[in-house]
Amino acid sequence: MPATAEITEALIRENINRAVTDVFKTMLGRTPTFCSQGEYVKGKMLVTSEPNRPQVVGTVGFIGECNGLIYLHLDLAFAKVCTCHLLGMTDKELEMAGDEVINDAIGELTNMTVGSFKNALCDAGYPCKLTIPSILRGTNFSIEPISSAVRHIYYFDCAEHRVIADILMKSDE
Amino acid sequence: MRYKVLTVDDSKTVRIIVKKAFKPFDCEIFEAANGVEGLAVASKETPDLILLDVTMPVMDGVEMLTKLKSDPALKSIPVVMLTAEGGRDNVLKIAKIGVRDYLVKPFKEDVLIEKCSRVIDLKPMNEGPAKAKSILDPADILIVEDKPAIISQIQDGLKHTPWKVKGVATQAEAIDQITKTTPDLILISLSLPEESAFTLFRLIRTNVKTKYTPVFALVVKTETQQQQQAQTVGFTAIITKPIDTQELETKVAKAMNLDTSQRYYAIEGEMMVMRLPEHCSPAVIAEAAAYLKPKFAEAVDAGFNKVVIDVHQIKSLHMGIIKLLFQAMQTCRDLAMQFALVGNPQIISECKGFEDTRGWTFYDSLEDAKTNLGRSAGSPALASV
Repeated sequence: MPATAEITEALIRENINRAVTDVFKTMLGRTPTFCSQGEYVKGKMLVTSEPNRPQVVGTVGFIGECNGLIYLHLDLAFAKVCTCHLLGMTDKELEMAGDEVINDAIGELTNMTVGSFKNALCDAGYPCKLTIPSILRGTNFSIEPISSAVRHIYYFDCAEHRVIADILMKSDE
Repeated sequence: MRYKVLTVDDSKTVRIIVKKAFKPFDCEIFEAANGVEGLAVASKETPDLILLDVTMPVMDGVEMLTKLKSDPALKSIPVVMLTAEGGRDNVLKIAKIGVRDYLVKPFKEDVLIEKCSRVIDLKPMNEGPAKAKSILDPADILIVEDKPAIISQIQDGLKHTPWKVKGVATQAEAIDQITKTTPDLILISLSLPEESAFTLFRLIRTNVKTKYTPVFALVVKTETQQQQQAQTVGFTAIITKPIDTQELETKVAKAMNLDTSQRYYAIEGEMMVMRLPEHCSPAVIAEAAAYLKPKFAEAVDAGFNKVVIDVHQIKSLHMGIIKLLFQAMQTCRDLAMQFALVGNPQIISECKGFEDTRGWTFYDSLEDAKTNLGRSAGSPALASV
């Protein structure tokens, strides 16, 4: 079995690009474009739009021969657009349904994205399983990795919105 | 038969998407959020199909599938996996336990339906409000024909109907159009190049949305071999060129199972009017005759006991029309209804020439007949014969 160190940044970038594109295109009918690769600066927030705007962040992990966690950041406005499209709801219906529906929809989008990402890792010789999704919501917050994690941040533009895939992978040591 | 489909997924979003995807079809959807709930619902409802996720809390999909396959009462229920778990080794491991199909998220609703329709015979809901029920309701007709003149001829011939008739020239355009809007009826020219008419027909019949859509073959009258081939593969009807648009309209209405009685029977004021069109082909006569007794009985039931039989549009009499008129008059007698005939000089003159119709009396206009019937007393005597 190859060491996880052999999972190159290029492979991660290719996999996450394919996963985000596939999920957003299939489920939302929108084609995201890979925008840039970000660099993690301790304590710095990752914001999808202007600061002080609420964010919805879906999280799903993968455990096995390689371990990690992916955060998918969306601003609340885009999260609502995605939820309405996925469930065939109007803005008004979504307002009445409440935040739980948005959380579930973004959790599922993240689950699909991370699923596609980790399936490629499985096929590359790193069998692993998905964890159950969870959701972070808030404004002006940052996520800090533990020191042994390797972090990759990728920005996507999708229908005038910014989507961020924040990947934390546990290193061999 | 209304199929039962059970979706087992911890994501409410996925369960809603599944429900949305199955909404146009005649089936009942049951939901469960994990393997334990899934087994309970499966035992209680015995669904015809289970859609199963893998990663779930409490009991995951692999454990539920294993338990399901070891239960003699449940093991025959087909399972389609619907999961983000798509790694080759995991898929093989799950497939070995026994699944009918495997769909990896993200998924398109159409693909889900297409895969499920291979397991259960999904039928579209009949009660859909957009579906045509009567000859007065709108319907979408698609013509696949590479000769624009034929498309125009059909569009012109059917322009008096509320049907939207769209023409495309190729198989690819037809598939594109069918994907956008499911037509109520499709006409395919058998003269499309490279036997593509038959390929298209097979594609239509394998698509869950169109597998019950009536499909007509358009073919030159003398091409008997092609007509036989079309009948063998299962085209709903054959329309021969040159096209008789009236015959086409009748066949379209029949294939779409439309109530066409409004063409011949209507309640106007205090009475029923039975109206025959200018051209009374055998198909028209048969159609009018099929509705005659039920429509007359319906009128009596609703309190109308007078009928005007209006044949003034007919250019010439033939035996079929005479038989139908005798049948109408006899039905009036049986139901104790009063009736009057309206004709034109040609029809009146032709009636004088036959022994059996010589005694018939006609009014010149519908208004005269209505006025006369309106004046007459409630006795069931014949208004005119």
